[in-house]
Amino acid sequence: MDSSKAEQLLEKYWMCETSLEEEQQLREFFLSKDAPESLKATAAMFRFFDAEKNKSVNENFEPTVTKQLRRRQGGKIVSMVSFANIARIAAGIMVVVAAAYFIKQEIRKSYPQELQDTYTDPEMAFEETKKALMMISNSFGKAKHEAEKMKVFNEAERKIQNKENQQKGII
Amino acid sequence: MNLETFQARVFPVKNKLFRFAFRLLGSSEEAKDVVQEVFIKIWNGREQLGEIQNIEAWSMRITKNLSLDRLRQQNRRPTDSLEKGLHIQNETLSPYENTEISESMKRIDELMASLPEKQRQVMHLRDIEGYSYSEIGEIMEIDMSQVKVNLFRARNAVREKLQKINNYGL
Repeated sequence: MDSSKAEQLLEKYWMCETSLEEEQQLREFFLSKDAPESLKATAAMFRFFDAEKNKSVNENFEPTVTKQLRRRQGGKIVSMVSFANIARIAAGIMVVVAAAYFIKQEIRKSYPQELQDTYTDPEMAFEETKKALMMISNSFGKAKHEAEKMKVFNEAERKIQNKENQQKGII
Repeated sequence: MNLETFQARVFPVKNKLFRFAFRLLGSSEEAKDVVQEVFIKIWNGREQLGEIQNIEAWSMRITKNLSLDRLRQQNRRPTDSLEKGLHIQNETLSPYENTEISESMKRIDELMASLPEKQRQVMHLRDIEGYSYSEIGEIMEIDMSQVKVNLFRARNAVREKLQKINNYGL
Protein backbone atom coordinates (compact mmCIF):
# COMPACT_ATOMS: atom_id res chain seq x y z
CA MET A 1 0.00 0.00 0.00
CA ASP A 2 1.40 3.38 -0.97
CA SER A 3 1.27 6.55 1.11
CA SER A 4 -1.62 8.15 -0.76
CA LYS A 5 -3.76 5.02 -0.35
CA ALA A 6 -2.77 4.94 3.32
CA GLU A 7 -3.81 8.56 3.72
CA GLN A 8 -7.15 7.85 2.09
CA LEU A 9 -7.72 4.89 4.39
CA LEU A 10 -6.63 6.98 7.34
CA GLU A 11 -9.27 9.58 6.53
CA LYS A 12 -11.87 6.80 6.51
CA TYR A 13 -10.41 5.54 9.78
CA TRP A 14 -10.92 8.88 11.52
CA MET A 15 -14.53 8.89 10.32
CA CYS A 16 -15.02 5.34 11.67
CA GLU A 17 -15.80 4.03 8.20
CA THR A 18 -13.02 1.44 7.92
CA SER A 19 -13.55 -2.28 8.25
CA LEU A 20 -11.44 -4.41 10.56
CA GLU A 21 -9.43 -5.58 7.54
CA GLU A 22 -8.71 -2.03 6.42
CA GLU A 23 -7.64 -1.10 9.94
CA GLN A 24 -5.28 -4.07 9.90
CA GLN A 25 -3.84 -2.82 6.59
CA LEU A 26 -3.24 0.58 8.13
CA ARG A 27 -1.55 -0.97 11.11
CA GLU A 28 0.71 -3.03 8.85
CA PHE A 29 1.53 0.04 6.76
CA PHE A 30 2.59 2.10 9.75
CA LEU A 31 4.54 -0.77 11.30
CA SER A 32 6.47 -1.74 8.23
CA LYS A 33 7.29 1.53 6.49
CA ASP A 34 8.71 4.85 7.39
CA ALA A 35 5.64 6.99 7.57
CA PRO A 36 5.75 10.45 6.00
CA GLU A 37 6.80 13.20 8.37
CA SER A 38 3.26 14.55 8.52
CA LEU A 39 1.98 11.22 9.81
CA LYS A 40 4.68 10.48 12.33
CA ALA A 41 2.40 10.89 15.31
CA THR A 42 -0.25 8.71 13.68
CA ALA A 43 2.37 6.05 13.06
CA ALA A 44 3.25 6.14 16.74
CA MET A 45 -0.40 5.56 17.55
CA PHE A 46 -0.59 2.42 15.43
CA ARG A 47 2.70 1.19 16.86
CA PHE A 48 1.31 1.80 20.31
CA PHE A 49 -1.83 -0.24 19.50
CA ASP A 50 0.36 -3.06 18.25
CA ALA A 51 2.61 -2.99 21.33
CA GLU A 52 -0.40 -2.99 23.62
CA LYS A 53 -1.83 -6.02 21.86
CA ASN A 54 1.29 -7.96 22.72
CA LYS A 55 1.01 -7.37 26.44
CA SER A 56 0.40 -10.52 28.37
CA VAL A 57 -0.22 -11.62 31.89
CA ASN A 58 2.86 -13.19 33.44
CA GLU A 59 3.64 -16.87 33.14
CA ASN A 60 2.87 -18.04 36.65
CA PHE A 61 -0.69 -16.80 36.33
CA GLU A 62 -2.04 -19.94 34.69
CA PRO A 63 -0.63 -22.47 37.23
CA THR A 64 -1.87 -20.33 40.13
CA VAL A 65 -5.39 -20.14 38.74
CA THR A 66 -5.40 -23.84 37.81
CA LYS A 67 -4.56 -24.70 41.41
CA GLN A 68 -7.45 -22.58 42.63
CA LEU A 69 -9.90 -24.09 40.16
CA ARG A 70 -8.79 -27.62 41.08
CA ARG A 71 -9.58 -26.86 44.70
CA ARG A 72 -13.09 -25.89 43.64
CA GLN A 73 -13.55 -28.90 41.37
CA GLY A 74 -15.64 -30.83 43.89
CA GLY A 75 -18.45 -28.39 43.37
CA LYS A 76 -19.63 -25.67 45.61
CA ILE A 77 -18.07 -25.64 49.02
CA VAL A 78 -20.74 -25.49 51.72
CA SER A 79 -19.55 -23.17 54.39
CA MET A 80 -19.35 -24.49 57.95
CA VAL A 81 -21.56 -21.69 59.18
CA SER A 82 -24.51 -22.73 57.04
CA PHE A 83 -23.87 -26.39 57.91
CA ALA A 84 -24.05 -25.55 61.64
CA ASN A 85 -27.34 -23.73 61.10
CA ILE A 86 -28.86 -26.70 59.27
CA ALA A 87 -27.62 -29.02 62.05
CA ARG A 88 -29.21 -26.79 64.70
CA ILE A 89 -32.60 -26.84 62.99
CA ALA A 90 -32.42 -30.61 62.47
CA ALA A 91 -31.57 -31.16 66.16
CA GLY A 92 -34.54 -29.00 67.19
CA ILE A 93 -36.94 -30.96 65.01
CA MET A 94 -35.60 -34.26 66.42
CA VAL A 95 -36.14 -33.11 70.02
CA VAL A 96 -39.73 -32.07 69.27
CA VAL A 97 -40.52 -35.36 67.49
CA ALA A 98 -38.97 -37.45 70.31
CA ALA A 99 -40.82 -35.45 72.99
CA ALA A 100 -44.13 -35.86 71.15
CA TYR A 101 -43.58 -39.60 70.87
CA PHE A 102 -42.82 -40.07 74.60
CA ILE A 103 -45.73 -37.88 75.71
CA LYS A 104 -48.08 -39.90 73.54
CA GLN A 105 -46.75 -43.09 75.12
CA GLU A 106 -47.31 -41.66 78.61
CA ILE A 107 -50.85 -40.60 77.81
CA ARG A 108 -51.63 -44.03 76.43
CA LYS A 109 -50.33 -45.70 79.59
CA SER A 110 -52.14 -43.42 82.05
CA TYR A 111 -55.46 -43.13 80.20
CA PRO A 112 -58.16 -45.27 81.97
CA GLN A 113 -59.26 -48.20 79.90
CA GLU A 114 -62.99 -47.49 80.33
CA LEU A 115 -63.94 -47.45 76.75
CA GLN A 116 -63.67 -50.76 75.09
CA ASP A 117 -65.00 -52.05 71.86
CA THR A 118 -68.30 -53.83 72.25
CA TYR A 119 -68.84 -55.00 68.73
CA THR A 120 -68.20 -58.63 69.71
CA ASP A 121 -71.14 -58.59 72.14
CA PRO A 122 -74.39 -57.21 70.54
CA GLU A 123 -76.23 -56.97 73.84
CA MET A 124 -73.52 -55.00 75.45
CA ALA A 125 -73.32 -52.79 72.36
CA PHE A 126 -77.05 -52.18 72.67
CA GLU A 127 -76.67 -51.30 76.36
CA GLU A 128 -73.81 -48.93 75.60
CA THR A 129 -75.76 -47.23 72.84
CA LYS A 130 -78.78 -46.93 75.11
CA LYS A 131 -76.60 -45.44 77.81
CA ALA A 132 -75.17 -42.94 75.35
CA LEU A 133 -78.59 -41.96 73.99
CA MET A 134 -79.96 -41.60 77.52
CA MET A 135 -77.07 -39.33 78.36
CA ILE A 136 -77.86 -37.17 75.33
CA SER A 137 -81.54 -37.19 76.20
CA ASN A 138 -80.82 -36.14 79.80
CA SER A 139 -78.64 -33.35 78.55
CA PHE A 140 -81.41 -32.18 76.26
CA GLY A 141 -83.85 -32.29 79.17
CA LYS A 142 -81.53 -30.21 81.30
CA ALA A 143 -80.99 -27.76 78.51
CA LYS A 144 -84.75 -27.43 78.01
CA HIS A 145 -85.24 -26.72 81.68
CA GLU A 146 -82.57 -24.02 81.58
CA ALA A 147 -84.08 -22.58 78.43
CA GLU A 148 -87.46 -22.30 80.16
CA LYS A 149 -85.84 -20.24 82.87
CA MET A 150 -84.49 -17.97 80.18
CA LYS A 151 -87.98 -17.74 78.73
CA VAL A 152 -89.31 -16.41 82.06
CA PHE A 153 -86.60 -13.79 82.08
CA ASN A 154 -87.36 -12.77 78.52
CA GLU A 155 -91.06 -12.55 79.30
CA ALA A 156 -90.36 -10.35 82.32
CA GLU A 157 -88.10 -8.10 80.29
CA ARG A 158 -90.72 -7.73 77.60
CA LYS A 159 -93.38 -6.79 80.13
CA ILE A 160 -91.13 -4.17 81.70
CA GLN A 161 -90.40 -2.71 78.31
CA ASN A 162 -94.07 -2.53 77.42
CA LYS A 163 -94.78 -0.79 80.66
CA GLU A 164 -92.03 1.74 80.09
CA ASN A 165 -93.31 2.44 76.60
CA GLN A 166 -96.81 2.94 77.94
CA GLN A 167 -95.54 5.39 80.55
CA LYS A 168 -93.58 7.31 77.93
CA GLY A 169 -96.73 7.44 75.84
CA ILE A 170 -98.69 8.94 78.73
CA ILE A 171 -96.08 11.62 79.42
CA MET B 1 -17.13 -29.40 31.94
CA ASN B 2 -13.84 -30.73 33.23
CA LEU B 3 -10.75 -28.72 33.99
CA GLU B 4 -8.97 -29.68 30.78
CA THR B 5 -11.84 -28.50 28.57
CA PHE B 6 -12.09 -25.34 30.63
CA GLN B 7 -8.38 -24.68 30.20
CA ALA B 8 -8.66 -25.24 26.46
CA ARG B 9 -11.71 -23.02 25.98
CA VAL B 10 -11.34 -20.24 28.52
CA PHE B 11 -7.65 -19.86 29.31
CA PRO B 12 -6.67 -18.63 25.81
CA VAL B 13 -8.52 -15.35 26.42
CA LYS B 14 -6.56 -14.57 29.56
CA ASN B 15 -4.32 -11.95 27.94
CA LYS B 16 -7.24 -10.10 26.38
CA LEU B 17 -9.00 -10.05 29.74
CA PHE B 18 -5.83 -8.89 31.45
CA ARG B 19 -5.25 -6.06 28.97
CA PHE B 20 -8.84 -4.89 29.25
CA ALA B 21 -8.78 -4.96 33.05
CA PHE B 22 -5.45 -3.15 32.98
CA ARG B 23 -6.83 -0.47 30.64
CA LEU B 24 -9.65 0.15 33.12
CA LEU B 25 -7.72 -0.15 36.38
CA GLY B 26 -4.23 1.02 35.45
CA SER B 27 -2.61 -1.51 37.77
CA SER B 28 -1.20 -4.88 36.77
CA GLU B 29 -1.72 -6.47 40.17
CA GLU B 30 -5.34 -5.44 40.28
CA ALA B 31 -5.86 -6.49 36.67
CA LYS B 32 -4.42 -9.92 37.50
CA ASP B 33 -6.72 -10.24 40.52
CA VAL B 34 -9.72 -9.36 38.39
CA VAL B 35 -8.87 -11.94 35.70
CA GLN B 36 -8.43 -14.56 38.41
CA GLU B 37 -11.81 -13.61 39.85
CA VAL B 38 -13.35 -13.84 36.36
CA PHE B 39 -11.99 -17.36 35.85
CA ILE B 40 -13.28 -18.52 39.23
CA LYS B 41 -16.69 -17.03 38.47
CA ILE B 42 -16.84 -18.77 35.09
CA TRP B 43 -15.64 -22.04 36.66
CA ASN B 44 -18.31 -21.91 39.36
CA GLY B 45 -20.96 -21.43 36.68
CA ARG B 46 -19.44 -23.93 34.25
CA GLU B 47 -22.65 -25.97 34.02
CA GLN B 48 -24.32 -23.05 32.21
CA LEU B 49 -21.37 -22.48 29.91
CA GLY B 50 -23.03 -24.46 27.12
CA GLU B 51 -25.79 -21.85 26.86
CA ILE B 52 -23.35 -19.02 26.20
CA GLN B 53 -22.78 -18.33 22.52
CA ASN B 54 -19.66 -16.21 22.71
CA ILE B 55 -17.61 -17.18 25.75
CA GLU B 56 -14.90 -14.64 24.93
CA ALA B 57 -17.26 -11.66 24.77
CA TRP B 58 -19.00 -12.90 27.91
CA SER B 59 -15.70 -13.18 29.77
CA MET B 60 -14.74 -9.69 28.62
CA ARG B 61 -18.04 -8.38 29.91
CA ILE B 62 -17.49 -9.95 33.34
CA THR B 63 -14.00 -8.46 33.35
CA LYS B 64 -15.40 -5.02 32.59
CA ASN B 65 -18.04 -5.30 35.31
CA LEU B 66 -15.63 -6.53 37.98
CA SER B 67 -13.07 -3.85 37.07
CA LEU B 68 -15.67 -1.09 37.22
CA ASP B 69 -16.93 -2.48 40.55
CA ARG B 70 -13.41 -2.18 41.91
CA LEU B 71 -13.08 1.38 40.68
CA ARG B 72 -16.41 2.23 42.26
CA GLN B 73 -15.45 0.62 45.57
CA GLN B 74 -12.23 2.59 45.63
CA ASN B 75 -14.06 5.66 44.36
CA ARG B 76 -11.38 6.50 41.87
CA ARG B 77 -10.67 6.92 38.18
CA PRO B 78 -7.49 5.62 36.62
CA THR B 79 -6.60 8.97 35.10
CA ASP B 80 -2.94 8.70 35.93
CA SER B 81 -2.19 5.29 34.56
CA LEU B 82 0.90 6.23 32.60
CA GLU B 83 3.48 5.44 35.25
CA LYS B 84 1.64 2.35 36.30
CA GLY B 85 1.47 1.39 32.64
CA LEU B 86 5.19 1.63 32.22
CA HIS B 87 5.63 -0.33 35.41
CA ILE B 88 3.50 -3.15 34.07
CA GLN B 89 5.39 -3.18 30.85
CA ASN B 90 8.48 -3.89 32.85
CA GLU B 91 7.13 -6.99 34.45
CA THR B 92 4.61 -8.67 32.20
CA LEU B 93 6.29 -8.61 29.05
CA SER B 94 6.47 -10.27 25.73
CA PRO B 95 9.81 -9.91 23.86
CA TYR B 96 8.44 -7.07 21.78
CA GLU B 97 7.68 -5.06 24.88
CA ASN B 98 11.14 -5.50 26.24
CA THR B 99 12.30 -3.00 23.67
CA GLU B 100 12.33 0.52 24.93
CA ILE B 101 9.08 2.36 24.61
CA SER B 102 9.48 5.48 22.61
CA GLU B 103 8.53 8.88 23.86
CA SER B 104 5.82 9.17 21.21
CA MET B 105 4.17 5.95 22.33
CA LYS B 106 4.17 7.17 25.91
CA ARG B 107 2.26 10.19 24.72
CA ILE B 108 -0.33 8.04 22.99
CA ASP B 109 -0.73 6.10 26.21
CA GLU B 110 -1.35 9.41 27.98
CA LEU B 111 -3.84 10.46 25.34
CA MET B 112 -5.80 7.27 25.71
CA ALA B 113 -5.75 7.42 29.49
CA SER B 114 -7.21 10.92 29.37
CA LEU B 115 -10.26 9.82 27.35
CA PRO B 116 -13.63 9.42 29.10
CA GLU B 117 -14.17 5.89 30.35
CA LYS B 118 -16.53 4.62 27.62
CA GLN B 119 -14.48 6.10 24.82
CA ARG B 120 -11.36 4.54 26.27
CA GLN B 121 -13.07 1.15 26.50
CA VAL B 122 -14.38 1.29 22.92
CA MET B 123 -11.05 2.43 21.52
CA HIS B 124 -9.23 -0.32 23.39
CA LEU B 125 -11.65 -3.01 22.18
CA ARG B 126 -11.56 -1.85 18.56
CA ASP B 127 -8.07 -0.50 17.95
CA ILE B 128 -6.08 -2.79 20.20
CA GLU B 129 -8.12 -5.98 20.36
CA GLY B 130 -9.77 -5.72 16.93
CA TYR B 131 -13.34 -6.59 17.93
CA SER B 132 -16.28 -5.96 15.62
CA TYR B 133 -18.82 -3.29 16.54
CA SER B 134 -21.41 -5.91 17.51
CA GLU B 135 -18.93 -7.71 19.78
CA ILE B 136 -18.02 -4.42 21.43
CA GLY B 137 -21.72 -3.75 21.98
CA GLU B 138 -22.09 -7.17 23.58
CA ILE B 139 -19.10 -6.65 25.86
CA MET B 140 -20.05 -3.14 26.89
CA GLU B 141 -23.79 -3.82 27.02
CA ILE B 142 -24.61 -0.87 24.75
CA ASP B 143 -26.13 -0.75 21.27
CA MET B 144 -24.12 -0.50 18.08
CA SER B 145 -24.90 3.17 17.47
CA GLN B 146 -23.51 3.99 20.91
CA VAL B 147 -20.38 2.00 20.06
CA LYS B 148 -19.87 4.05 16.89
CA VAL B 149 -20.56 7.37 18.60
CA ASN B 150 -18.04 6.63 21.35
CA LEU B 151 -15.42 5.39 18.91
CA PHE B 152 -15.90 8.44 16.70
CA ARG B 153 -15.46 10.78 19.65
CA ALA B 154 -12.45 8.88 20.92
CA ARG B 155 -10.70 8.89 17.54
CA ASN B 156 -11.53 12.54 16.99
CA ALA B 157 -10.10 13.49 20.36
CA VAL B 158 -6.93 11.52 19.66
CA ARG B 159 -6.67 13.00 16.15
CA GLU B 160 -6.89 16.56 17.45
CA LYS B 161 -4.20 15.93 20.00
CA LEU B 162 -1.99 14.17 17.48
CA GLN B 163 -2.27 17.17 15.17
CA LYS B 164 -1.11 19.39 18.01
CA ILE B 165 1.77 17.02 18.73
CA ASN B 166 2.63 17.00 15.01
CA ASN B 167 2.66 20.78 14.94
CA TYR B 168 5.02 21.00 17.88
CA GLY B 169 6.93 17.84 17.02
CA LEU B 170 7.15 14.65 19.06
